[in-house]
Amino acid sequence: MLGGIRGWKISAGASLKASLSVIGASLLLLALLTAALAALRNVADVGTVTIIYLIAVLYAAIRGGVVPAVITAVAAIGAAAFFFYPPIYDFRVYDPIHLIDLVLFIVVAVVTGQLATGVRRAKIREQGDLLREALIGSVSHELRTPLSTIVGSASVLAQSPDIANNAQLAPLVNSIREEAERLNESIQNLLDATRISSEGVRPHAEWVDPGDIVNVAIEHKSRLLAQHQLKVVVAPDLPLVRLDPMLVEKALGQLIENAAKYSSPGSSISIRAEQSGDMVRIAVQDQGVGMSREEQKRIWDRFYRSPRHRDTIPGAGLGLWIARAFVTACDGRVDAFSPGINSGTSVSFYLPVQPSVGVENSKAFDD
Amino acid sequence: MTSAQPVVLIIDDEVQIRRFLRAGFELERFVVLDAENAEAGLRAVTLRPVDLIVVDLGLPDLDGSVIVERVRSWSSVPIIVLSVRSSEEEKVRLLELGADDYVVKPFGMAELLARSRAALRRQTRGSGGDPAVRIGPLTINLATRAVSVDGARLQLSPKEYRLLQILAQHAGNVVTHQHLLKEVWGIKHVNDGHYLRMFVRKIRQKIESDPTQPRILLTELGVGYRLAQQSELDMPQR
Repeated sequence: MLGGIRGWKISAGASLKASLSVIGASLLLLALLTAALAALRNVADVGTVTIIYLIAVLYAAIRGGVVPAVITAVAAIGAAAFFFYPPIYDFRVYDPIHLIDLVLFIVVAVVTGQLATGVRRAKIREQGDLLREALIGSVSHELRTPLSTIVGSASVLAQSPDIANNAQLAPLVNSIREEAERLNESIQNLLDATRISSEGVRPHAEWVDPGDIVNVAIEHKSRLLAQHQLKVVVAPDLPLVRLDPMLVEKALGQLIENAAKYSSPGSSISIRAEQSGDMVRIAVQDQGVGMSREEQKRIWDRFYRSPRHRDTIPGAGLGLWIARAFVTACDGRVDAFSPGINSGTSVSFYLPVQPSVGVENSKAFDD
Repeated sequence: MTSAQPVVLIIDDEVQIRRFLRAGFELERFVVLDAENAEAGLRAVTLRPVDLIVVDLGLPDLDGSVIVERVRSWSSVPIIVLSVRSSEEEKVRLLELGADDYVVKPFGMAELLARSRAALRRQTRGSGGDPAVRIGPLTINLATRAVSVDGARLQLSPKEYRLLQILAQHAGNVVTHQHLLKEVWGIKHVNDGHYLRMFVRKIRQKIESDPTQPRILLTELGVGYRLAQQSELDMPQR
């Protein structure tokens, strides 16, 4: 936070300095234009040529934004009124046409200044996006390669007889592997979250058996579920769904991870897949810490973590946000419910079912 | 296989990855050769016969898929690909090009060894090994075309047998949806993924003790199906 404030001061200081130099340059330009107009005064009617002052105003607007532009416009008005609009060498202006010129200077200054600032911001944002893309690419490669080495090497050590038969060392090697895998999951979450924010989710839909999604997600999280009583019920005649199975599997994995994280070892976690109206519902229910009303309202927010767990259970507040983004990208919806604090939580996905494809009746299916 | 000890060629540009792969395979009595890029890898394959190739997809000089393609143009040696997460299409493409299986980084050595052994077994079976594939209670005899569960013979339709036959020929390794659709229903039905999903459900009802939580006919989401290996069934239940 401190660093943030200091950084802001430096950038504010830097931009003030930049503004001052733009104002200086545009006032100098204004002086040169005034001298040129004064030199032409005897050969031409310069009363209408003061429009040339807009050059200085535009310069200030494009380089510095609204404030330098308005300052330059005011100076231009002063110069025009004093040197060129009758009465000359007097700031008063008699001709109403000249008054309109003066208003024009200010309008041009404000409008151009705003446009220029907008363009500059868009350019900065674009550079930021490019930077972020580059970071995603290098982070995923730079972090994954060492993690692959750690996980792989630990798995080889765990298999070597010297370690496998040593009751003290074997658990250490397993911890290395498990923690590296956990780190990999966290990195994956950060990458997913960055992708969702920058380019959105692009689902690849295909026909899939909802039961397969449930079983694969459970298999992927089996290590986290080892301490819990797991109950799995998949209705035998569920309709097929047409969606991106990888996205829903990842989303379901987040729910399973949360259920395991926010409930005590030995308690039960139930995972069900069943038909619910014209949707397929996949629900994960635990007997854990539950949620207050306030928490139920906010759990889908990015980075939200309940103050009850912030210091005791590790997490980034991204899991459910990612899960919801993935499920909604597949035209599904999410729902979370808890009867109250320490009364367990149930989180569900509702996945759309396309009209029946009637596969079994088609002759080609199994003739 | 060329000798009692199978020879594995590892093609990966990261020295640390090669190091643990070498140690892991040597612990399991493989003879290990390695190459740090595609060119060296392709040269190694031509210099001496190998029984298995493990190739990383992100090589600096050539795309891993090019290696798969080139090797497949003259050899049926098993190829296992080391891939990264989040690209199912890429995996499918490699499998269609002729790779036998893939593991996703980061992976444990046990997983890679299981996939490797499955691919090696397919190769031995092709050259006159035991025609019966056994996974837990299920036996598929590829010579007599008999399928039984706990010794009781199953009645299967020709398409059901064909599907199990293909999976059994690759037992332990993944087979893509596209390949199964093409082989069982024909090229016209290669996009009829729903046929396959419903069909697999039907077969599971015949061979699994709990069809909603299969242990034998497993799903590789977004890619295809795989018959489990005996070693997976022997592992403790979660």
